Amino acid sequence: MSLYHAIKISLAGLKTNKMRSALTILGIVIGVTAIIMVVSLGQGAKDLILGQIQGIGARTIGIIPGRQPKGPTDVLATLTASLKERDLVALGRKENVPHAADIMPIVFGSETAYYEGETYRPTIFGGTELMADIYDAYPERGRNITADDVRGSADVVVLGQTVVDKLSPDHDLFGERIKIKGRNFLVIGILPKKGGASFINFDEMALMPYTTAQNYIFGIKHFNRIAMRADSEANVSSTVEDVKTTLRELHGITDPDKDDFGVETQADALKTVGTILNTLTVFLAMVAAISLVVGGVGIMNIMLVSVTDRTREIGLRKALGATNKNILTQFLLEAIILTGVGGIVGILLGAGLSFAISLVISNVFGLAWNFTFPIGAAFLGIIISTIVGLIFGLYPARKAAAKSPIEALRYE
Amino acid sequence: MSLMEVRNLEMTYSDEDVATPVLRGLTFKITKGEFVTIMGPSGSGKSTLLHILGLLERQSGGEYFFEDKQTGEYSEDEVARLRNKKLGFVFQSFNLLPRTTVLENVKLPLLYSGIKEEMWNSMARKAIDAVGLSHRLDFEPSQLSGGEKQRVAIARALVNNPEVIFADEPTGNLDSKSGEIVMEIIQKLHNEMGHTVILITHESYTAEYAERIIRLRDGLVESDTKVLNRRTGKLFQK
Repeated sequence: MSLYHAIKISLAGLKTNKMRSALTILGIVIGVTAIIMVVSLGQGAKDLILGQIQGIGARTIGIIPGRQPKGPTDVLATLTASLKERDLVALGRKENVPHAADIMPIVFGSETAYYEGETYRPTIFGGTELMADIYDAYPERGRNITADDVRGSADVVVLGQTVVDKLSPDHDLFGERIKIKGRNFLVIGILPKKGGASFINFDEMALMPYTTAQNYIFGIKHFNRIAMRADSEANVSSTVEDVKTTLRELHGITDPDKDDFGVETQADALKTVGTILNTLTVFLAMVAAISLVVGGVGIMNIMLVSVTDRTREIGLRKALGATNKNILTQFLLEAIILTGVGGIVGILLGAGLSFAISLVISNVFGLAWNFTFPIGAAFLGIIISTIVGLIFGLYPARKAAAKSPIEALRYE
Repeated sequence: MSLMEVRNLEMTYSDEDVATPVLRGLTFKITKGEFVTIMGPSGSGKSTLLHILGLLERQSGGEYFFEDKQTGEYSEDEVARLRNKKLGFVFQSFNLLPRTTVLENVKLPLLYSGIKEEMWNSMARKAIDAVGLSHRLDFEPSQLSGGEKQRVAIARALVNNPEVIFADEPTGNLDSKSGEIVMEIIQKLHNEMGHTVILITHESYTAEYAERIIRLRDGLVESDTKVLNRRTGKLFQK
């Protein structure tokens, strides 16, 4: 008997029990749907987050103070005051770091702000006039911090939307004065609302010259970070090396393991976040895959009932000349067709639901969320569900094939 | 040459510690073209004998030759092939596939026959025509009367043009009028197409069609007589 006829027989068998067939594949449908959704949504989340990191700029390099942890068990990453004005000057010299286009010291921390009886604790972010350009944080009203503000430690702030809302729910703060650490700060600019999903949340920040933050807010002489931009993406890695060499020389460090600073690039951040998200997606997809095994057990269960139910049919087919192999093939194919169809339905359902969710996310939450159809996962879903059918269909099919025609015909 | 021959045929069903002998040494031959009725009270072993002759079950003792070959020498697949090509079965309870049309039911043996699919429809239609059900091709078993169901079963047994047709109480579930029609069809097949028929019955009107009656009692042949077919007056002559 050809495979074509075998498939026809199995399809006819399934068609005479439509309701049972539909219920049987439910487990597989749900399992594959879950896998497709996890992978599709995982990809969407990854694209979104990586896109936001990328928004910071591929040329950006971050220099952070303190010995950096060398591994997951190395928790002695001591924050120190190792980055100071002299480092900034040294890094700014063309002969030390030839491909550095911009360099900006950063000071940050929390401090309470007051305005007409209202209080709020924003993140104080001290930088230079480059801040707006490096972090894409241009005020929607007013002006940015200028080089003059920095030189003169001016008492000026640019506020994020949340800070404005909390300090003054009923009116705009532009041009008003707010009080931080006993000093009056003129609000020179208001940042546009970025939303909570941005990688750096400027909504809760108060931007000011780093000199002002150092001198009047935190009372420190060091920096919490130095942001640098290479003149091109191609020069990022050489710039990282130049930064390390310059700082080691300046700090008298010969053993790189004893560095009292760290250098981060956006590529590192992308790699780290990408790895985390991939691991998470794979983990969730594996959890979803377990449901496929559960679905397979369901198939086996129903197939066993079906074999007992159709004992007469099996006996009749044998009496009419079906071989054991014919019967085995028929029941095995029924299981495989069931799981295969379940897989296809699951892929369509999973893709449809993921697409609907992506529409909701991009339209209701206004995020740059893209729907991706996970071809690999779909392919894998079909293969796995077919294999599940093969494995869990084998036992019932063998049971069917082993029935003696007489026993089967006698069965009432 | 005999079509089927049994020598000292025995069948004992063993269930853990209880052994139940059903057939206790039968010896007879059946020639091609015979119409044999096997009769006997219930428990005499008629059905078991038919199952062994029909290669649905293997004997526990003695020998069974089909077309002069020891059936013990056949493999499982060869036995399945023989059932498909040479043997046709009609059961008391029809055994049609539910929710499947008359045409598809009759085609069932062809699926396992290796015959080209282009032939299936015409072969099935011919067999259905032979039992007079051409107007019921697309009906499902649930839409048919008992007599019609049994006629479909006969068409299914016929479709591969087998050597022997085994009928196990084919009229047992039918009223006498439907039973007569079914028997007339079996009779016609035997007369016109030369099929060997082996029929089990305990109804005397059914037995009237036979040319030879083997009576069983307690697993032994009680009598084996050639009789005049009381319907046609034809006596089988070798």
